[in-house]
Amino acid sequence: MTVSVIPVGPQHPVFLEPFQLKLVVEDEVVSEALPRFGYVHRGLEALVVSKDFRQMTRVAERICGICSAIHGMTYCRAIEKLLGITPPPRAQMLRLVWSELHRMHSHLLWLGLFAEAMGFESLFMQIFRIRETVMDILEQTTGNRVIISVNVIGGVRRDLDAEGADGIRRALKKVAGDLERIRPVLVDDYSVRKRTEEKGILAKERAYELGAVGPVLRASGISQDIRRTGYGAYGELDFEPVVESGGDCQARCKVRYRELFQSMDLIRSGLDRLSDGEIQTKSKEKPEGEILVRSEQPRGEVVYYIRADGSKHLQRLRIRTPTFANMAALMDLLPGLDLADVPLVTLSLDPCIACTER
Amino acid sequence: MGMMKHLMVRSRRRSLWMMHFCLGGCNGCSIEIMAALTPMYDLERFGILNTGNPKHTDVLLVGGSVNHRNRRTLKNLIDQIPAPRLIVAVGTCALTGGIFNEAYNIIGGANRVVDVDVYVPGCPPKPEAVIDGILSGLDKFEQ
Amino acid sequence: MNLAKLWVPAAAVIAAPVFGGLIAGIDRKISARLQGRYGPPILQPFYDLYKLFGKDPLAVNRWQPFFAAMYLFGAAASVAWLALGGDLLVLFFLTTFTVGFLVLGASCVPSPFSRAGAGRELLQALVYEPVLILVFAAIFQQTGRWDAAGVWRQGGVLLAQTPLLYLCLFLVLVIKLRKSPFDFSASPHAHQELVRGVLTEYSGPFLAMVELGHWYETALLLMICALFWSSVPGSAILVAATVAGLIFVDNLFPRLTWRWMMARIWLPLPGLALLNLIWLMV
Ligand code: SF4
Repeated sequence: MTVSVIPVGPQHPVFLEPFQLKLVVEDEVVSEALPRFGYVHRGLEALVVSKDFRQMTRVAERICGICSAIHGMTYCRAIEKLLGITPPPRAQMLRLVWSELHRMHSHLLWLGLFAEAMGFESLFMQIFRIRETVMDILEQTTGNRVIISVNVIGGVRRDLDAEGADGIRRALKKVAGDLERIRPVLVDDYSVRKRTEEKGILAKERAYELGAVGPVLRASGISQDIRRTGYGAYGELDFEPVVESGGDCQARCKVRYRELFQSMDLIRSGLDRLSDGEIQTKSKEKPEGEILVRSEQPRGEVVYYIRADGSKHLQRLRIRTPTFANMAALMDLLPGLDLADVPLVTLSLDPCIACTER
Repeated sequence: MGMMKHLMVRSRRRSLWMMHFCLGGCNGCSIEIMAALTPMYDLERFGILNTGNPKHTDVLLVGGSVNHRNRRTLKNLIDQIPAPRLIVAVGTCALTGGIFNEAYNIIGGANRVVDVDVYVPGCPPKPEAVIDGILSGLDKFEQ
Repeated sequence: MNLAKLWVPAAAVIAAPVFGGLIAGIDRKISARLQGRYGPPILQPFYDLYKLFGKDPLAVNRWQPFFAAMYLFGAAASVAWLALGGDLLVLFFLTTFTVGFLVLGASCVPSPFSRAGAGRELLQALVYEPVLILVFAAIFQQTGRWDAAGVWRQGGVLLAQTPLLYLCLFLVLVIKLRKSPFDFSASPHAHQELVRGVLTEYSGPFLAMVELGHWYETALLLMICALFWSSVPGSAILVAATVAGLIFVDNLFPRLTWRWMMARIWLPLPGLALLNLIWLMV
């Protein structure tokens, strides 16, 4: 029996971001996993002392590029609560539309990377091709592809005209068709199932104990979705969390795949209910007090804590991101895995290191 | 001899193996680099392959700003890349530290640690800009 | 007369990498097209190779370049031997040596990726070597010859009697050419947990040598395939069909893990080959 330590990362082709997993490997089976962080740590929560609370919106968006719209929205919601204002309904609905578009782009990115981790390049390419349609909508409606910067305190910065809404509907139709076409490969294909089924099983109780969030939790059979708390415009729409019971990579893949369709439904009904009116409530106040808000990100629940003392600068900003919550689950999953499955299982939790380290 | 040299320059221009390394940024830049590899933009038509292994690399794309921890990693990586090599800084973060410049853990842009050949501005730059950045660095191989 | 005879292997040694490189180029182009991309020019592998030769030599230790060179030499020698019409059994040993040098080269460096890659390379040799020897045995069974020249001259469509064997050979090709389904594949796009397995630690000119050796191996295996239909047009069709099949397999399936390979292929593959052999005998 040979014991060796394999350092995966900080630079490694299957992870987009630098973080290190030290794997103690016995005969290609992982016996222990040690994560090391800090490669992306910027210390941006402390930026509140040098940037005022309006500028911080832009920083919050850049916590992570993959879910930037939702970070921005959560931050704005927190500040709005402190200021005691509510954005107009139209702005709320537009926020929903853009957040869900962002969720789609994030899930598609994940599906692509997942395919690549299986060594299935052609699927990776096809998924990224589908993703480009979503990126195009984002670019058309907001002017940027990744960091769309639509949220401002009190509402949104850009309006959506009827033409834009139609464009979104048309593009979604195309995306839905393309996604249907890859379903047989993603869900039924023998070799894909061989690679994903029963890999990295996270049992229901264990997932709950470890405090997993988001798609990981839902794939283990627990129906939890912060969007159901009805923040923003989510309360007006009716939807059920996507739940799978397997708890393995396949289940996590299915959850995300089905959530894509859920997001499309939400966007469609959001566009249908778009009311006329203002898109921003202005306020000249300064935030004061303490607040905690939660949102559902593509990766799960994000928590923002803010303390403000009525001056231009916030006193404290603290963010608990979903990947941070899921790391415990990952460390629980890795021991006992084949070395060959490590990238796949790690990716199946959709780690976002930029979020985790801030 | 002249012809061999000409051929070498030509091969170098046509066969760039790239690797991207994301430092302390928001990922936005990495995503756009990924996107540049995929069907819509297809870097491979220029002979650019994503290798992910520093020893096989000709072009290093750096996204994100340098912090106290990843500085050493970046330096190590660069040392493993055999010459001639091209280093492209992608995104405002890698140029100057960008929006995070004032944060306590950030040292600054990639040029604080390595000699950057091409700077691609944007937050994040579009895939087209990334491709343009890589290709405009090709002249370095003429010498 | 002796000199004239040497022409053939010499030509083969020169032509084989050109052929192997072209196959690699076509493969990359077609794969790109299947993935909805435009793809690199067909001559791309040659640019890559030439560029690699021009990079700074960064050897990890003294042995690494030596093993790379030996690997290249072994692969080229195998091609020359086959072109000479040499004995198939000797060829078998030559190929084993060639792989041995690759494994040695990968395990003489301290990198854990490279070492684990070497271990897997050995395992995969364990999988396909028995098949290769069974293939040669079947050829002997059919033609009564051990030497390639004799087999070729005998002609005939060996494929007709040995479809199962050919299937096995095809699977060997899939493994050997580092296509899929196995996770130590080293195709240019595969990003596996071992980075690029045995190739991880090679760089610049040494990587180029290994790559060149790999092209020789490609050519060699396809030449063995050609023996199954010993006529010029026949073997051309066979080789073309085989290459097309390889590309499709690569693009239609994810890469499975080596454990899967051991479980599913190690016993069945020689079993299948043996079955074919027994069928030939009775
Ligand atoms: S430049 Fe902008 S998009 Fe790129 S990593 Fe920095 S903050 Fe993110």
